[in-house]
Amino acid sequence: MLRWLLLALCVAALAALPLIGDEVMIQYGIDALLFATVAQAWNILGGYTGYASFGNSAFYGLGTYGTAIAMAQLHLPFGVGLALGAALAVACAVIIGLPILRLRGHYFAIATLGLSACLSAIIANLDIAGRAVGLILPLTRNAAMFYEDALALLVAATLTVFWISKSRFGVGLIAIREDEDAARVMGVNTTLYKVAALMLSAFFTAIAGGIHAYWITFIDPAGAFDLTLNVRMVIMAVFGGPGTVLGPVIGSFVLTLVYDTLASGISTAAALLFGLVIVLAVIFMPRGLWDLGAGWRQFGPRYLLQNVRMHRL
Amino acid sequence: MLFAQLLVNGILLGGLYGLMALGMALVWGVLNIVNLAHGALIMLGGYCTYFLFKGAGIDPFAALPLAMLAMFAVGYLLQRFVLNLVIRSAQLNTLLITFGLEVVLTYLAQLAFSADFRTINPSYAGANISVFGVTIPLVRLGAFAAALVLAAALWILLERTRLGRAIRATAQNLVAARLYGVNPAQLYAVTFGIGAALAGAAGGLYGMVSQVTPYIGASLTAKSFVITIMGGLENPFGIVLGGLVIGIAEALAAIYLGPTFTDAISFGLLVVILVLRPARSLGAA
Repeated sequence: MLRWLLLALCVAALAALPLIGDEVMIQYGIDALLFATVAQAWNILGGYTGYASFGNSAFYGLGTYGTAIAMAQLHLPFGVGLALGAALAVACAVIIGLPILRLRGHYFAIATLGLSACLSAIIANLDIAGRAVGLILPLTRNAAMFYEDALALLVAATLTVFWISKSRFGVGLIAIREDEDAARVMGVNTTLYKVAALMLSAFFTAIAGGIHAYWITFIDPAGAFDLTLNVRMVIMAVFGGPGTVLGPVIGSFVLTLVYDTLASGISTAAALLFGLVIVLAVIFMPRGLWDLGAGWRQFGPRYLLQNVRMHRL
Repeated sequence: MLFAQLLVNGILLGGLYGLMALGMALVWGVLNIVNLAHGALIMLGGYCTYFLFKGAGIDPFAALPLAMLAMFAVGYLLQRFVLNLVIRSAQLNTLLITFGLEVVLTYLAQLAFSADFRTINPSYAGANISVFGVTIPLVRLGAFAAALVLAAALWILLERTRLGRAIRATAQNLVAARLYGVNPAQLYAVTFGIGAALAGAAGGLYGMVSQVTPYIGASLTAKSFVITIMGGLENPFGIVLGGLVIGIAEALAAIYLGPTFTDAISFGLLVVILVLRPARSLGAA
């Protein structure tokens, strides 16, 4: 009960930020919230189901372009744009998911790696999507609205993951992660479960892309289908603790904060330190911040060395 | 005639692509690490060769063995003191740590060498020969030949030497290899070192046919990935063949489909191969 109260307080405090924070702070806030959302969305497939997707940036791009085409070309309202983007991404998840989710491990990761590049090439040759030049959306200078939208989306994504962690569906996903053949034998419809997880993941990622598109008002294929965004999702989720409800959110908040603080100094050194943080994190806390919290309470600093001892050759 | 020229361009570039992927395939097959820092190692090899050429005035082809030696040392140390610490961690974690290394290497290179484009341009850089109207640049031909020689050398090392037997044994069964006296910490480091040395050679050749910047790593890693999957993990010549397929496909796609499709085509091919013949690539692993 206390825990729930604390969480509700945190969300309320975050929601109140636009009232007290200045413009720059809200900008950073929107970024952090959207990153946390895409990390959480990745967590559904990568964390719970054990399929590391590098195709989520494609869903992000589809959400971006769905929203942009609806608003800039068809002059429809923002909400319709988000819905269109989400529909495109979910449809893509089904079409791509059915063949690709038959692959396992590295092979799945690599097959998804090409998705962004392929979609980006297609979009760059479509007239309605503005070809390689991109699209300009109508300008809205209401940062607080984008902030609250992003927060609402993150809360929705996190509640969905919470529901997954408690539901039969989630148990099925975890079973697939631990041993897919065993899960199948136990009567889990593995194909259906995996595609459903990919669809959920695509849905939240696409909405985040749509909000981002309207906020920055200009999109082009290279920016919308950026693979480094996907890499960031993976890092944030894995850094926080994949397969946990709050780990990815905490991980992305911490990493975004670290990165933005460093980047305000020298940008090259920031990227360098970012890389070092990842390397050290994998060595000393391979199960993420969430597990570090639990492990530290139990073992103290010895927890870090135990991890090294357990995973070295 | 255009078609023949494209084919030759594709084949010459494809050989180099194959060499790029050789090191990644070796490390993947033996250590089960998909090394996302592979492209960064290629980049470092490129800088090594560049400075040996520009600074010490050594012919770039003669500088390749030196660059390979330096990169072997880099790879050996990375595996021995960093990657060996996480080798039994979850697969996602080895992906993640090599990604972290790629970021570190990229930005270290930017700090040390600046973001300028560097090209290794020996006096014969512009020379070419003409066969039946098809132009063959000498440097590209040399890079292609060097790639084939190195692939053959790797094959001989793996099939005909004691070290190669130990590497293959470890790839098949770590526990059994250990029982027969293989020291895995050492062997993993040597294998990763050989992978890095091959990456270094690829980088030097890449610097001759294209440009080296600190940021070339990521796209070269992606390309090496695709080729590794296509070629399988067990035979160096399979990898070279995979490189040729990608090289030719890219050269043709750039002209007949448009240059925006060059990256998409290799991944498109990959997905088709993965989906149609997953058993083959899985069996090879």
